Amino acid sequence: MHRFLRISILLTGLLAAVNIFAAESSQLVPMTEDSLGPLVEQPIEFPHDRHAGDADKGGMEINCMYCHTYARRSAVAGIPPLQKCIGCHQSIESVRETPRIKKLFEYWDAKKAIPWKKVHDLPDFVRFTHQRHIKRFNEQLNRPIQEVCGYCHGNVKEMTVARRSKALSMGWCASCHEKDHPVTAEGGTPIDGQAYWYGFQKPESSGEVLKAKGPNDCWHCHK
Amino acid sequence: MMDSGFDRRDFLKVMGWSGAAVALSGCGNTSIEDGKETVAPYVEAADYVIPGIGVYYNSSCAQCDAGCSINGRVREGRVLKLEGNPASAINNGRMCGLGQAGVQHHYNPDRVREPLLRNGDKGETITWDKAYELIAEKLSSVDGEEIAFVSGGVSGHLKVLLGNYLSSFGCKNHFVYEALAPGVVRAANKKSYGVEMPRYNIDKAKVVLSFGADFLGSWISPVHFSQQYAQFRKGTNGQRGTLIQVESKMTLTGANADRWVHLRPGTEGILALGIINALGTAKGDIAAAVAGYDRAFVSKETGVPPGQIDKIAALLKLRSPSLVLAGSAAEGYAHGSQNAEAINLLNYVLGNIGKTIEAAAAIPFPQMAPAKGNTAALKTLNDGLAAGKYKVLFNYAANPVFTAPGAMKFKGNMAKADFKVVFAHYFDETALQADLVLPLDSALEDWGTHVPEYMVEGAQINIQQPLMEKIHANTRGMGDILLALLKQRQADEYKNYEDYYAYLRAAMLQNKAALGGVDADDDTFWNETLMNGIVKLEGEATALSGKPNVAGLKLPTLMENDEEYPLHLIPSVNISLRDGRHSNQPWLQESPDPLTTIVWDSWVEIHPKKAAELHISEGDIVEITSKTGSIKTQAYLFPGIHPEAISIPIGQGHEALGRYAKGYGANPFEIMDAIFDEETGELAMHETRVKISKTGQKVIVVKDESAAGAKQIREKIAGRVSTDEVDLSKEV
Repeated sequence: MHRFLRISILLTGLLAAVNIFAAESSQLVPMTEDSLGPLVEQPIEFPHDRHAGDADKGGMEINCMYCHTYARRSAVAGIPPLQKCIGCHQSIESVRETPRIKKLFEYWDAKKAIPWKKVHDLPDFVRFTHQRHIKRFNEQLNRPIQEVCGYCHGNVKEMTVARRSKALSMGWCASCHEKDHPVTAEGGTPIDGQAYWYGFQKPESSGEVLKAKGPNDCWHCHK
Repeated sequence: MMDSGFDRRDFLKVMGWSGAAVALSGCGNTSIEDGKETVAPYVEAADYVIPGIGVYYNSSCAQCDAGCSINGRVREGRVLKLEGNPASAINNGRMCGLGQAGVQHHYNPDRVREPLLRNGDKGETITWDKAYELIAEKLSSVDGEEIAFVSGGVSGHLKVLLGNYLSSFGCKNHFVYEALAPGVVRAANKKSYGVEMPRYNIDKAKVVLSFGADFLGSWISPVHFSQQYAQFRKGTNGQRGTLIQVESKMTLTGANADRWVHLRPGTEGILALGIINALGTAKGDIAAAVAGYDRAFVSKETGVPPGQIDKIAALLKLRSPSLVLAGSAAEGYAHGSQNAEAINLLNYVLGNIGKTIEAAAAIPFPQMAPAKGNTAALKTLNDGLAAGKYKVLFNYAANPVFTAPGAMKFKGNMAKADFKVVFAHYFDETALQADLVLPLDSALEDWGTHVPEYMVEGAQINIQQPLMEKIHANTRGMGDILLALLKQRQADEYKNYEDYYAYLRAAMLQNKAALGGVDADDDTFWNETLMNGIVKLEGEATALSGKPNVAGLKLPTLMENDEEYPLHLIPSVNISLRDGRHSNQPWLQESPDPLTTIVWDSWVEIHPKKAAELHISEGDIVEITSKTGSIKTQAYLFPGIHPEAISIPIGQGHEALGRYAKGYGANPFEIMDAIFDEETGELAMHETRVKISKTGQKVIVVKDESAAGAKQIREKIAGRVSTDEVDLSKEV
């Protein structure tokens, strides 16, 4: 009987200690697929909705890759150089005197980089490449670019500053890579001649849409 | 059983659960914290810059003098990795570990960042303008003859600028000092072949007989020789080349040899003459000169069994062409020149001249050819300093306080100069003695041209260009500093050159036609030069000449035993640490020595028989004492060394040079006697005699190999007994 009491005391104490430790660390709860990341305060509150949003909601429907131009060329999507912002804004007089644009020009005049805070990041032991994903979904499967970016970044066109809206954890990545995806179009035609990427063999034409899993060997990401 | 308190089993259970709880709550799903790190984009990005994609630039390796060309990967403005440039005939895209560590020279946290002026024991930060003014002021008060400039091997346009600067105030005291340069071999080659540095064709030889030339490890151009060696091993007409290495301390090359012959230190020349005698093909004065070197005599002197000499001679006779090399082990004695010449004579007798030893092309711009020098130059400087001849001393790319033999007392003599300026990357031992320390750009931040001493195919000029922006705002390139100093004196002549880059570009364009850009316009020529990283030239043909020195050969017979100091000290050159200037690169410190596998420390190699005699075992801290001084280090029993010799690697034992070098190991230079080669005046590095004694302390030697270590030799890797010999009653 005493033994039970003693264990409870010990357990309670330890759990309390664990809770104190956990409360200090930033990520307390395992994330679900759509759990949002924290709101991150940026040096300039950049309005993604204004730039990329739908026209009927006051957006300008700019292609994501107009600014994040490295996404289709490199592992990282990159933040656009300040030069790019100024390129347009130097001739947009209507908003020239608004606080955010004034701040933008302050950085430009000082030739200083804007110290944006990272919102999406992966550990160094994960090799994720934007290029391959854009190539696959946007260029080969012809999915609209906002949808493709949205697979991982959520609905950025309705955000001001970006906020992480997917878990970006290994389980979350794998949940997509383990699904069967169509690798041939209607009639069994391999999409862009690359359809056998994942199965490592060219699919026999059977007239049906063939499906295969995404690349899911460990080494694809952990090189 | 405890009365109160907790049962051990329960305690463990609870701990287990809480561990799991911590794992669940603490680690989360990713280890990245949102919104904590910044990502700074470019303000203006060049078209070719894509974050995450590397850009590659060609440049030149500055880790040693071999002159390999490199290709650096740069990402987001940071140089990440160096590889060899395939266009270079010297390294053909290959690179050694020492070269790879070049990035750690660049990113080293201990680099000097500001110009510093001595104020008592401290360095006070001053501006560059102030530093230049100070130099001008000091120079104006002394005579040209009272100024001395000591530098490592310099070549190319930097050498030209340095020469111009020194002659601007009538100073002829430029001392070129490379501690490990093959000074004696150069002089012997000049005598025997008519050139200081011929081209060695290891790949064309069927037998290579090397007298202590560690050409796979650290000798002259090891990356190039390694490739030749691979070809030599593949063989011509299906016949694999045979390597015989003769030395008193096994080197990496010796470990790769088919036959490793150990001989009494300093008797290399005698063995060479003995082999000529055994060959029996020499005629005339050569035959007369080697007449006394019969088997019995040579064997007694060198300790090499007569049968061994016969076998070597027979093999050399059978297979031609061969190649005989005189390396650093042969040159390191008071009779080093004689040794090297006797070895070169062997090449004559074997008819290798013109086959495996050829004349290399010379660079058509003699003013850019490398300035060479060894300890003889340092001795002249040291004597001058001791006599109070020099008032102002400049030092660049050399660390004489660390590498001068202890008997020279260079540190004390250096203090006699009134004003000492050291151009430094780090606070090394010499920089600590300076009155003014000027911080240099790293080799990956600076511009330059280099001309390798050992030419492979035609002649070439290597281009050095920055792989990235400077890390520290206030460091300067050596060329920029010299240009600024020259402008103080000859403002008119140099006013058109804003910086060293402008000077280099103008100087190269001036000779565009001679450099292979006859038809190209300036920009095209310059951009292509930078892109290639090498300017290949036909070069000026030189010819081998010179008569073998036969009459003058005087090889001392059996050196009498020194009762007090019975052992020869062989300071060995480590493949990555070399003369110790790179000991602050942790990759090199942690790369195991190829033969002993020891890391981050010094050791003394002792033959197991000798060690048994002295009751020394592995890990004993021993004191090695010479006439000059004593050092302490750990003992390592090594069968690859002559029992009458011990060996300590060079490069460790720094008292400065930053966190990765200071305080590790011992410096054998400290106990080296000032004995010089009689002919060239170069330091006889292997001539110091020592005694060894136990201190009573013992450590565990930190090394990669198993505890059995060197004892593996002649023992089975795993003992086997045939089944009928097994006595089962004893096994169970």
